[in-house]
Amino acid sequence: MSTKTLSVVRNVFLALGVTAALGVGAVSSDAQACGGAWVPEVEIDYRIAGMAMAEKSLDQGEYVAVAGSVLRMIPHIVASKPGRDPIMGRALRALAVSTVRMDGALSKIDKELPYEMIGSWVGKKAEDRSANLEWSVQALRALNEQKKNDPALQTELGEAMSKVPAHQEEALKLLGGLAEKDLVASPEGYAALARLRNGSGDKSGSEQALKRCAAMAKSDSLCQVTGKFGGDT
Amino acid sequence: MDRNRGSAPAPGEARGRHKWAAWAAPVAAVVLGLGLAIFTGCGSEREAPRPGPEPGLVTEAAAAEETASAARADPRGAPSAGAAAAAAAPALRPGDPARGRELATQFECGRCHDGLDVPPVAMEKHCFHCHQDILADKFKGASTTAIAKWKPHIAYARDVPSLLGAGRRYDPAWIERFLLSPYDLRPLLRPTMPRLALDAQQARDLAAYVTRERLATVPEEPSLAGADLARGRKLIEDKGCGACHSFTGVAALPEAPPQLEDEHYAFEERAPVALAPDLRNARDQLSVRTVYEWIANPKGIKEDTPMPKTELEPDEIRDLAAYVLQAPLEAVPPKPIPARLPVLERRVSYQEVSERVLGMTCRHCHSDPDIARGDGGAGNTGGFGFKPRGLNLKDYESTLAGALDDHGERRSIFAPLSDGTPRLLGALLARQAEEAGQVNPEIRGMPLGLPALPPEDIQIVESWIAQGRPR
Repeated sequence: MSTKTLSVVRNVFLALGVTAALGVGAVSSDAQACGGAWVPEVEIDYRIAGMAMAEKSLDQGEYVAVAGSVLRMIPHIVASKPGRDPIMGRALRALAVSTVRMDGALSKIDKELPYEMIGSWVGKKAEDRSANLEWSVQALRALNEQKKNDPALQTELGEAMSKVPAHQEEALKLLGGLAEKDLVASPEGYAALARLRNGSGDKSGSEQALKRCAAMAKSDSLCQVTGKFGGDT
Repeated sequence: MDRNRGSAPAPGEARGRHKWAAWAAPVAAVVLGLGLAIFTGCGSEREAPRPGPEPGLVTEAAAAEETASAARADPRGAPSAGAAAAAAAPALRPGDPARGRELATQFECGRCHDGLDVPPVAMEKHCFHCHQDILADKFKGASTTAIAKWKPHIAYARDVPSLLGAGRRYDPAWIERFLLSPYDLRPLLRPTMPRLALDAQQARDLAAYVTRERLATVPEEPSLAGADLARGRKLIEDKGCGACHSFTGVAALPEAPPQLEDEHYAFEERAPVALAPDLRNARDQLSVRTVYEWIANPKGIKEDTPMPKTELEPDEIRDLAAYVLQAPLEAVPPKPIPARLPVLERRVSYQEVSERVLGMTCRHCHSDPDIARGDGGAGNTGGFGFKPRGLNLKDYESTLAGALDDHGERRSIFAPLSDGTPRLLGALLARQAEEAGQVNPEIRGMPLGLPALPPEDIQIVESWIAQGRPR
């Protein structure tokens, strides 16, 4: 084959390649545009796997990792409310519970997030921690309004409220009611109830709650009425 | 605790926009779940649910039904639990096929049984078709990776008897009794008809619907006079009926059905054995004419039966039918209730309970709607005629969050029954008792319609509860 012929062939292939490339770019995203045949438009929702991993971390008590993961996946979550998308509800819960179990201070989260996203999450100042806890209470309250009659969520709301003085009376009532029905869904919930009862002078009720907490918790250190509380890791 | 088991999709799992693709998650759920599986991972991605009410919760109506059904004579000859109560039951109306059809839709009979003319069940809810398609690599809407993962977990609902031509076979009165008090008809089919929350009139209406073809004609019964039972017995042996059928209560047949634990049986090989009923039951279910016609030409009565046609002379058919229907039967001792094992002294964590029990079977029906496109399973969002109970056994917190009672109030699944047994444990023990022919009127046995848990698994659950349900 002569050099000229090779050049022509090369140019033809080049032209075909360019045309194909342009064609691909011009293809409508409508599946029906492909000759009526169904061509799947695959859309991978990375939040699903991400949320699953975050919840696993939550179970393992890796609260900062949970918060970092949720905030990276859904940067606008702080201003979000639970809607029809279950992922959003799960994300709000995971972030709120993590924040509560870190007493409002997600220390070292600055290693997990870009600078502009850190905001008050580290909780160096008391007002930051208060704001973080209050946000968690409101997030869990919104989830409870959406999903009524769920003692697991109610326990988490009670636990969150127990850490905000303005909500402690409500927390005592909520957790006490759940305990009466044996529906406190976590040792953290019983620990919160024990602290609230202790604070209100109900020593024997506090002891009872601590006993339940100790039976349920992986670690006895969770079940105390003074000091730093955190979660059951 | 593992909050993710059985719930989240695999990393990178695709979410297609096509309607087929939209089936993927729910179907995966059904699959995994209905796998009613017995194994870990039963709930992998987007687990969804399958049949059954939550443990420990029986509606008052269901409890009344249970009392009534317990009063009915046990078809296997066990003593009746309360004939007096049955006699005192209010008179029932004749069965209404039209009402029965509505009930078949309400109780979702079509999720398992083919052969009904009820509105079709969506693929993601059709236990049998979904499992069959997965096992046969015909399932649409999921990746080959996902299907390969599900396959080994499909332990149940691989073979389900169709109700095609049921009216040409069954006695409506037997169906009515069976619906109220199901028992094991097919020894090699491990799931049984679940105890649904049916009252006596509903059972009668359903029986009338299932046998609606029968109502039009009442054929004359052939005579078994002069039949030779010994020859009938020899024919059963010579024709190899025992290769598929059990026949309890008579001398053991020379051939025994193969065990189907081998997962490699193809459907065509499994079905004839798995679906073959114990011939002991024939006299309760079938008329003389039906047995005649069935032996002569099974597909003439039920087009999709795997029962083969056997060339027999008329007198051979008579003798065979006579043996099936008239051979003296020895009483079959009820299955013993396994001894309860002592509470373990070692610590039992939720993770162990989850891996051994909840994740194996329970989660298929008691899951989280948020991870299964709104369908938390029959024991959560409702199904098979059971109203939503909201029981979610997905994780530790949810398990402790209880279930809805008849009044819509949350109740702990560890609340004591009248004898002090925690409800969750009571439900597991009740299933053992059901298999032994003893219905607990206070609680429905779990897992619904599936084999009872082995004593070792129940011991794990009981120990965990006794230790205060440690995380």
